[in-house]
Amino acid sequence: MGKKTDSSQVIVVTSGKGGVGKTTVVANLSTGLAQLGYMVAVIDLDIGLKKLDLILGLENRVIYDIVQVVEGVCTLKQALVKDKRYPGLYMLPAAQTRNKDDITAEQVQRIVDELRQSFDFIFIDCPAGIEQGFKNAIFAADRALVVTNPEVSAVRDADRITGILENENFKNIRLLVNRIRPEMVKNGDMLSVEDLMEHLCLDLIGIIPEDQNVVISTNRGEPIILDEQAPSGQAFRNIVHRLIGEEVPFPNFDIKPSLFQRIKDSLFKK
Amino acid sequence: MIDLLKKLFKDDSESKSRSAANDRLRIVLTNDRLNLSQDVLDSIREEIIQVIANHIDIAGVPEVTIITEGRQSAVDISIPLKPKGR
Ligand SMILES: Nc1ncnc2c1ncn2[C@@H]1O[C@H](COP(=O)(O)OP(=O)(O)OP(=O)(O)O)[C@@H](O)[C@H]1O
Ligand SMILES: [Mg+2]
Repeated sequence: MGKKTDSSQVIVVTSGKGGVGKTTVVANLSTGLAQLGYMVAVIDLDIGLKKLDLILGLENRVIYDIVQVVEGVCTLKQALVKDKRYPGLYMLPAAQTRNKDDITAEQVQRIVDELRQSFDFIFIDCPAGIEQGFKNAIFAADRALVVTNPEVSAVRDADRITGILENENFKNIRLLVNRIRPEMVKNGDMLSVEDLMEHLCLDLIGIIPEDQNVVISTNRGEPIILDEQAPSGQAFRNIVHRLIGEEVPFPNFDIKPSLFQRIKDSLFKK
Repeated sequence: MIDLLKKLFKDDSESKSRSAANDRLRIVLTNDRLNLSQDVLDSIREEIIQVIANHIDIAGVPEVTIITEGRQSAVDISIPLKPKGR
């Protein structure tokens, strides 16, 4: 199987705050692109706390890891784990018993450069925080997806990350809002997607609703994007199409009071 | 008219936690980006007022605010001056 495109996109998925959904995003977008026939590699850089193998359901196939590649114990090709569903999807596992300083940004860069020859998309799953692991993850990337949740603490960290990415001259930074609950936004009890875009001054790549199906599919090691019915699966498919350059309209998750309602309210208030 | 328009397009849940979150974020993000605390802002104001006051009489209360436009910010200082000879 060969590449579909001449070039490669190297995308780092990052957030600052932990647990907002980075690994879930990497697993789903990579699976979605592989489903469309692209050659996709995912690199787990959360060394010491790896989870991508579990979320992709590939934990039993892991033999080598990225630190062993760097140390010359095995070749890059030997370390790549083939997905069980799609022939174009490969994962480079993180080491579980090492730490983030066991690898340098330049070493990651060399691995990424080698992967560019065979893959259309290369995703880098970034660890939480802004320390060495984060620096390793962003160094080799062409573009960044900043994942956040509609919560003040997640937004604050996303802003910190965005500031660092801009200082590193990232031109292509897009916002991915995860775990939005439209009914709470509507009731005025959750930050809306527009609020987040305004605070972070970032363009949107996608909106994933809170969806209990994510938990269920993660239990099984099957990315939710494979589920034709789940709302979050559809939301991930939309992002996949945006990544390959298609225009996909954003669903209206921010249900606002109707204009009529607002006119009425403003006329009769105070 | 502008006020009416603003009202129409503003969300009408002033007292809800969403607007509290927005207000708090606005302040915290500005401070984070500039690496400035309210304390530092207060001392900047005091020092600037002092410099001006050494030469001109100040009338009323000076205002120091941070204006944000996208991710860029500016310090806006407004110092009312006392007209001469009255
Ligand atoms: N849209 C969603 N709806 C419901 N649950 C979700 C959603 N997205 C993520 N989750 C759940 O949130 C948890 C954290 O997700 P994930 O591991 O992808 O975050 P992370 O940012 O990679 O975390 P870490 O910083 O620890 O690497 C998981 O249990 C996942 O199933
Ligand atoms: Mg993760």
